[in-house]
Amino acid sequence: MALFRKRIINNAASHAGAADQYLVARAVSAQDTAAFGELIRRHQSQVRNFLRKLSGDASTADDLAQDCFLHAWNKLETFTGRGSFIGWLLKVAYTTFLQSKRKSKRYAEILDEAGYAQDVQNKSYTQPSDEVNDLDKFLAVLSEEERAVMVMSYACGLSHREIGAATDLPVGTVKSIIFRGKEKIRTEFDIKDHKHG
Amino acid sequence: MVEKMQDAEDRLLESMFQSEPIVDDGFSHRVMGRIRRQIWVRRLALPIAMILGVAIAAKPAVQLVTIGSQVFGSLATESVLPNAALASQMPVFVVVGLGLAFAVLTFRLFEE
Repeated sequence: MALFRKRIINNAASHAGAADQYLVARAVSAQDTAAFGELIRRHQSQVRNFLRKLSGDASTADDLAQDCFLHAWNKLETFTGRGSFIGWLLKVAYTTFLQSKRKSKRYAEILDEAGYAQDVQNKSYTQPSDEVNDLDKFLAVLSEEERAVMVMSYACGLSHREIGAATDLPVGTVKSIIFRGKEKIRTEFDIKDHKHG
Repeated sequence: MVEKMQDAEDRLLESMFQSEPIVDDGFSHRVMGRIRRQIWVRRLALPIAMILGVAIAAKPAVQLVTIGSQVFGSLATESVLPNAALASQMPVFVVVGLGLAFAVLTFRLFEE
């Protein structure tokens, strides 16, 4: 058992400096969970941050992030290596988020049909009750799609092409969504006077 | 990032969207635990289903063989005698077969 544990630790240490593409190849070809573990450690912060900004709730975002990495592990062979791994991972995260939204919407409909009113459908973005900063206010005025695109662009640093690939939208549409989002923020707030998010 | 034209407003928005990196705090460990569990469930599902299938099918199979041996027994004694002798030993064969299958699967699991 100690030898087994030592082997796992050695594997993890040997993966520490490897490129994402190499780790994906290891994880796919040899079912190397240590390689995928290293990928999780590298990208968990960005994925969780993305989902937190998208859902507005830390615990929901963390649950979704877990599901996202599980989906990523199951679909890892579909990563072609053409774009960045984080771009692909955020696509999986966004799909997971949309699926969960669809499920909760259907759940709300079923409850509604059964005669129970539920506030799940309208819960598109939950502002934290205490310490509402400017970013939370900005995100609240944006639509779900705008929020995803803006967060991918400004928080995750993805290129327009990568955002297009992640959201299945043409690059032109991504640019116009960003333009529209900025316009909304500009109209609603004076963005020069802000607290950092 | 290269294709993005950044003006002052973009830079301001970027600084506002930036946030502190989230500390792992056991998150990756939890995810890896779920992944490992999923792998084990997938690995065990087929062998368990096979063992259950064999266990369920064993009794009717033995009965079938016994009936077959009785049918053969009514035929000419000289030609059927070895088969009938084999048929009476069939439960032992089934048990041994199950044991072997279980041993092979256990060995495979340990190997994994």
